[in-house]
Amino acid sequence: MTDSPADRVARFVDDLLHGRRPRRFNASQEEVEAMSAAAGMVSARVGADLPDKAALDRIHRRLAAALDESPALDRHVSRRVLLRTFGTAAAAMVIGVGLDEVVTRQGKSPGPGGGAPTQAVLMPDSGAWKPVASVTQLPAGHAMTVSTGAIDAVIVNDGGSISAVSGICTHLGCKLQPDDAGRKLDCPCHQTAFGWSGKVLYYRLKVEPANLPQIPSRVNGDQIELFVV
Amino acid sequence: MLAVTELRVVGPPEPDDLPGAETAVYPDWEAVYADNVVGIYQLVFRRVGNAADAEDLAAEVLMQTLKTLRLPAPVHNVRAYLVKTARTVLADHWRRHYAAKDAATELQQVPPDALTAPRNTAASERAERLLSLLPDNFRRILELRFLRGYSVREAANELGVTESNARVLQFRALRKAADLELEVLR
Repeated sequence: MTDSPADRVARFVDDLLHGRRPRRFNASQEEVEAMSAAAGMVSARVGADLPDKAALDRIHRRLAAALDESPALDRHVSRRVLLRTFGTAAAAMVIGVGLDEVVTRQGKSPGPGGGAPTQAVLMPDSGAWKPVASVTQLPAGHAMTVSTGAIDAVIVNDGGSISAVSGICTHLGCKLQPDDAGRKLDCPCHQTAFGWSGKVLYYRLKVEPANLPQIPSRVNGDQIELFVV
Repeated sequence: MLAVTELRVVGPPEPDDLPGAETAVYPDWEAVYADNVVGIYQLVFRRVGNAADAEDLAAEVLMQTLKTLRLPAPVHNVRAYLVKTARTVLADHWRRHYAAKDAATELQQVPPDALTAPRNTAASERAERLLSLLPDNFRRILELRFLRGYSVREAANELGVTESNARVLQFRALRKAADLELEVLR
């Protein structure tokens, strides 16, 4: 017995509801319409249409591999240079994620950075580890502003990885506002935005502003701590 | 005092008059990726309904766009191009895998502001509105299947029909939803 359109569409829907890539088949126009509507219904489930971090990483790797002229290389080189400069456990912790990407993505030792904006690490002379929030206050996929008196910072939980950057726009000093849905930090003054890592995403200025300084961070017990004054 | 007088005469500058205020630009491909990857993924997910295809298609949309664009480029230009590319990639997906013909393009309507409109609640609000416009039996089968996760058998039991009838009901309900989407919600 051959499948009816209703049977084929039901199988398509089953695949979607079980999170599987649907089987391919030659569909009639009516079936395509129904399947398209089913895709819309599935995406209406809360959080269904949000990519997980692994998927985003895979997309990033595919792009990086295909796009020869990779500014990411320059920027990661800059961070590697920073690591050599600081050589401290705190700096290594801040920079570690980017360094892993260099190793896995480039597969070779890059030369010195070439003119792309660097990213400083804010390392105060008389700093100390200070708790700024509890881990439970910062679920995965969120960023929040914190202040230690001398320093305004944004702490970020990117898929369980905690990091921190300055919370002050490098253009004219406006306080940044986290946009969790866009995974970015918006400057309310001049349409400039930074990624969670502190890198400039876009700007409305004649000259590209500097990346946000990174702030050494760590998780100590259930507290998120920053190395600040 | 002189400065104050001058300020009063001139008035506050408009944002576009400020020195340095230019069109927002993406400096490099990493910036385009970071600012749009989630939006593109959501845009394509809504039209294919599964993570595996959404990941492949989002990567393809970004790849095609970034290979063509010269950067730095204005944000609004890049987003418009991403949306246009998404429309083409989606239509091609349905054509290649499901032999969908020209109407696939029609089905893959992507509004030009797809990457700037609020996106967290858009899909669920649209689905709720669609459901509210459907006849009762159509709405019930779709609610049971998509919102409550019932299997065809469970939905059939709940509705007091055979499994075969439940599949037909689901098919008709989805077709009606597609019609409404094209006619009413566009």
